[in-house]
Amino acid sequence: MIELDGITKVYRTGSQSLEALRGISLGIGKGEFVSIMGPSGSGKSTLMNIVGCLDTPTSGSYVLDGDKVAGLTFDELAAVRGRKIGFVFQNFNLLPYATAWENIELPLLFDGKNGRRRRERVSELLNAVGLYDWRDHRPTELSGGQQQRIALARALANDPPILLADEPTGNLDSRSGEEIMAILIDLWRGGRTIVMVTHNDHIAARSERVIRLFDGQVVD
Amino acid sequence: MIAIFFRNFFRDLVRQPLRTALTLSGVVWGTFSVVLLLAFGDSVSKAQIKRFHGMGQGIVLVFPARTTLPWQGFLRGKAVRITPEEVESIPGKVPGIELISPEFVGSRLIRFGRREYRNTVRGVNPQFELMRNTIAARGRFLDPEDMAGRKRVCFIGNVLASDLFGTDEPVGRTILVDSVPFTVIGVMMTKLQSSNYNGQRDERCAFIPWTTYASLYGSKYVSNFIFRPIDASRSKAAMEDIKGLLAKLLGFSPADPDALGVWDTLEFEKQFTTFFLAFTIFLGVIGTFTLLVGGVGVASIMRVVVDERTREIGVKLAVGARRRTILWQFFSESLAIMLLGGLAGFGLAAAVLQALRALPQSGSGDLGFTGFVGLPVLNPLVVVSTIFILLVIGVAAGLIPARTAASTDPIEALRK
Repeated sequence: MIELDGITKVYRTGSQSLEALRGISLGIGKGEFVSIMGPSGSGKSTLMNIVGCLDTPTSGSYVLDGDKVAGLTFDELAAVRGRKIGFVFQNFNLLPYATAWENIELPLLFDGKNGRRRRERVSELLNAVGLYDWRDHRPTELSGGQQQRIALARALANDPPILLADEPTGNLDSRSGEEIMAILIDLWRGGRTIVMVTHNDHIAARSERVIRLFDGQVVD
Repeated sequence: MIAIFFRNFFRDLVRQPLRTALTLSGVVWGTFSVVLLLAFGDSVSKAQIKRFHGMGQGIVLVFPARTTLPWQGFLRGKAVRITPEEVESIPGKVPGIELISPEFVGSRLIRFGRREYRNTVRGVNPQFELMRNTIAARGRFLDPEDMAGRKRVCFIGNVLASDLFGTDEPVGRTILVDSVPFTVIGVMMTKLQSSNYNGQRDERCAFIPWTTYASLYGSKYVSNFIFRPIDASRSKAAMEDIKGLLAKLLGFSPADPDALGVWDTLEFEKQFTTFFLAFTIFLGVIGTFTLLVGGVGVASIMRVVVDERTREIGVKLAVGARRRTILWQFFSESLAIMLLGGLAGFGLAAAVLQALRALPQSGSGDLGFTGFVGLPVLNPLVVVSTIFILLVIGVAAGLIPARTAASTDPIEALRK
């Protein structure tokens, strides 16, 4: 599903250059649940951004779901992101002025789905995360756990095969975190590929495989 | 999709009512200025050209003068003299002349009862009426029969008519012109006249047949003559032809620049029109700058909005929005603000113009303020120019912040 080969990422600021990733090669199979761990500055976020097609590698090849992704333009990557990847963020990143419904509808709009299909899909997702009755509430009127469930529903809107979660439980109390983990595991059992960044060994232990990064390289 | 755009747009507008009001007010005021200044410029131009047409439309005035070059044994300084018969024979020899009239001009004592004025008397022919817009409000202008019979009839200006007769009916009355009785056959319609030559404006003149004038006062040579070419664009060529003919007939050098004084109102009007076009454009430019300030306001507010919503943009990019989509979102929002403000400005300007129309007109009708400035209206020229200016500024004001928004780095935006 995800094949990275010799991925490097170099940031240049003036005469200085920082090697965030130094030749990462790894493969994640379809339906795997993988955790990425590592200290701050180890390159976890950079790796997630490249896997998520938000960023492009300086060198190396990246094949996503059978398609070569390296070298695509930003707008081509946008289409890939919209269809194949769902993002879940630590701080939820919901639009503050939009309702729960509108937040979930967003990826469907960008994918150009028509009104009837959008309505059906949003209702379905709201029911799936158990927040249909909260559809007209804004994020500020929802608890952290509820917000993250809305964010999850948004990530799943276009039914992407891959879910990227960046510290999905980092801002939640343990009970809400547990709920989110339960949903993620459910999704994984349903055949979705899940890549999760976390600091928490306990959370990471729930995944099938842990990839540890240190100083821009995979250590085991 | 469009419904969602409008829903979001109005939500954005209402979220910051004070900011929205201030942003809009710049655009409203700018549009208002453009519309009013353009309408004002346009109406002043039209009023001025109308006044200029008061003297006549599409005519050329020719004043015989003195030679300035020696010719065939004559020294320079010889008087050029033309008889009215020679003037009336010109159309037979020069093509392209629609109307022509000789003109004698003199200052005469005009009397009716105990009222006496020294006014300008013009000896002309019936073609004079159309060329010089001396249209009859009552009675009629001179006709060929008056000419042939050298009749003692006169057509008088409206001011002269009220000076002599007050509110009484002048047509059919007899007045004395230098003690010779003349019957009044018509009174001129009131007109605006900003230009003139030889004597008083038409409103104070008496017009009599030139045949009568010549026999009564013994005048042999005309003061001037006027003609109108069939094709207005050929006025210069027709004048050249006439000059060539008269040079041969009267004995002056065809190359003599000043033997005939020429006032080509067509040429004059061209310059006049150009001047007023420049005037209107100048006003339009001032208005445009005002609107530009409004546009800058929109652009800078949108920059702030983009800045505030960086994270929103990041999220949207992450869930599959293209840069185009983001560009369009902010661009259309700015443009919508511009158009909303523009619409309000238009409405305001239309209301002011309507109010101006309803105002009691100062001065004596056409001759007062409105005669000079005209009545500014929302004509198609004004509307189309304003919409064009509004769109150009709106597109520029929208594009600049929208491009900033679209170039947001999603990674940076999400980290905020």
